[in-house]
Amino acid sequence: MSNVLRPYLAAVRSTLTAALTLENFSSQVVERHNKPEIEAGGSKEVLLNPLTISRNENERVLIEPSVNSIRLSIKIKQADEIERILCHKFTRFMMQRAESFIVLRRKPIPGYDISFLITNFHAETMLKHKIVDFIIQFMEDVDKEISEMKLSLNARARTVAESYLSTCAVTNFHTLANADAY
Amino acid sequence: MEGAFRKIDIDVYDEDVLAEEELYQPNPRGPAEVLSETKQKATAVRSALAKGDVSGALGIVLQNPPYGPHVEEAKNTNMTTLVSILNSTKSSEIPNIVKSLTQDEQDTLMKCLYKGMAMPGWGDLSGSVLLGWHEKLTEVAGTGCIVRVMTDRRTV
Amino acid sequence: MSQPEVYNIAQTPITCHAFSADRREVALSLNSNEAQILSKQGHEWKVTETLAEHDKLITSIDWAPKSNRIVTASQDRNAYVWTQTPDAATGRMAWKPTLVLLRINRAATFVRWSPNEDKFAVASGARAIAVCSFDPESDWWVARQLKKPFRSTVLSVDWHPNNVLLAAGSADMKARVLSAYIKDVDSRPQPTVWGEKLPFNTICGEYTSASGGWVHGVAFSPSGDALAFASHDSTITVVYPGGPASVTIKSTTLPYVTLTWTAEDALVAAGHDCQPVLFQGHENGWRAVGSLDDTTAPKSSGGTRMGSGFGGSSVGRLNSAAFNTFRNADTRGQSSLGFGAAEGTGAGDTELLTVHQNTITSVRPYEGVPGHITKVSTSGVDGKLVIWNVSAADGLAGRLGGVHLR
Repeated sequence: MSNVLRPYLAAVRSTLTAALTLENFSSQVVERHNKPEIEAGGSKEVLLNPLTISRNENERVLIEPSVNSIRLSIKIKQADEIERILCHKFTRFMMQRAESFIVLRRKPIPGYDISFLITNFHAETMLKHKIVDFIIQFMEDVDKEISEMKLSLNARARTVAESYLSTCAVTNFHTLANADAY
Repeated sequence: MEGAFRKIDIDVYDEDVLAEEELYQPNPRGPAEVLSETKQKATAVRSALAKGDVSGALGIVLQNPPYGPHVEEAKNTNMTTLVSILNSTKSSEIPNIVKSLTQDEQDTLMKCLYKGMAMPGWGDLSGSVLLGWHEKLTEVAGTGCIVRVMTDRRTV
Repeated sequence: MSQPEVYNIAQTPITCHAFSADRREVALSLNSNEAQILSKQGHEWKVTETLAEHDKLITSIDWAPKSNRIVTASQDRNAYVWTQTPDAATGRMAWKPTLVLLRINRAATFVRWSPNEDKFAVASGARAIAVCSFDPESDWWVARQLKKPFRSTVLSVDWHPNNVLLAAGSADMKARVLSAYIKDVDSRPQPTVWGEKLPFNTICGEYTSASGGWVHGVAFSPSGDALAFASHDSTITVVYPGGPASVTIKSTTLPYVTLTWTAEDALVAAGHDCQPVLFQGHENGWRAVGSLDDTTAPKSSGGTRMGSGFGGSSVGRLNSAAFNTFRNADTRGQSSLGFGAAEGTGAGDTELLTVHQNTITSVRPYEGVPGHITKVSTSGVDGKLVIWNVSAADGLAGRLGGVHLR
């Protein structure tokens, strides 16, 4: 892992650890309801200041804490058009399967690529420090995954082009003739 | 439009709801006073920096930071002053400087770091400088310091 | 120092616990709408009875030691007083519920018997506290509400030893001391440092921590002359109304949610940091003495363990089980086991170095008399019930060496 990434992830880790101090909190607006206050937003006093951790303008994490839930949104690095498409496909794929991914939110917060919603119920059934580990692991791997996909996409494009052009080279005449026919 | 009343947010009319400005102690100083004080501090910081006294300069800028409504200008001035200190510090000096701060100053510094990260591209602020400070500060002041940034409504 | 007694009660969180007077039984709720009575058999706790009357999560339980009554509060807005009566058919003793008319319209969050056990206070999300006393004529518990200064959910309450004053911590960032004097029940209270004339709903004091944060836990000192509260900004504040002012200790670790005094100059606080910490001090200053948890950890001895990723290379040390599970689903179409299942496979580094593996929800005195508590009990989100020895506090001092709690 590069040295530049480490302080970024360390900052996300410590902030997330500090934010994951959740408790069971029944709604004080609607009786007998218990919902994530960060999403409901009905009571100002149970929300805390949102914190941003950023490496640069294109890579940042927003953590919005509240008494019983936190929302964590990630803006993933996207250097060019291919990465943008891959990132979109990748996050879309996951968010469509959000229920088997438990802490994932179905929609990202505007300005971010992917959002997680962690409630006190998650913190009760799973160990807090493992949730933190998981998010960090995700952030670490998502960059890797996207550049890997970009590489394999390029490699595949090259193979396709090569095999196509090699056919071209042998049956140059026929191909051209056929192309005319179509 | 006989159904329009269904879209009225009735919770707004709940009198018991706490308003944003009731969540913290109001700043005893007025906006004008805060601004002039911040400008004085900026001058003091410049002279301290000229003498090479980084921790002294940091101590000045982190004392009584501006907070509350209508002090945007003072906040920006204070932030510019702070950024000039952060940028002019060698990374090897950071741990000792952070240790020399009081707990209140550490909390304020942490608030400023998060504020800086929330607005990248602002002035000559770079993410890696802020992250470097953040890491060193967390080592000294712990997660408790970050928790206080979240809970304290007196934002810088 | 003797080892803490650790009991693994369940895999689910223990939201609250209360011991009987003889400490042979404990009432607790496993994050559900039922409360269990467990009795000690050998080194095991066996469920002897289930108190099932609430229909939402039970938030708090208290067991009156002298009159042997249990009170439970729940998010279904109700409280029940349970008394042990012989069952008509079998003749065995069984716990029978009595509904309390709290007249609150939001969740009940916290309940405590008064020292004389003739009243109890129920904190609630309705921005009120219901103070309940028994009306023998109608044979039910009636509630009077302390409503006035609260602007948000009341999270905890504690009774002053004089049976009249009540401390309350709430989500509007304030700890308050109020009078819960009820004419028919209480005799005229002696003047205290909190005030002299104390009609119902007198506000004797309002305190807040400078950096804000919901007040999770409040407690009067054994004499009642000082008040300590733990708020979400990771601070413990001790208020001396007679003395100069308040003392705030800022912690470098995660917030405390619950605390109890062990002596006039010492208290134990616990919370998200997963370990109970002993504090000692007086009007002029308080300090953290050390953790009751003996974590013979190789790298650190104190609180920053939870966030140990700040330094070093630990960001990269994780196993990627969860991510691999997902990638398998992505590239090979294997059915996703989900996050929870994947997590279980990474057994190597799942364990924290503390006894409790998750947030401690409540800490209560276990052994000793008020003013000289020798043991405290804690229950946590990890389903553990632990009894800690605090009498050996002096031995703790050295253990704080590596931690800078100032």
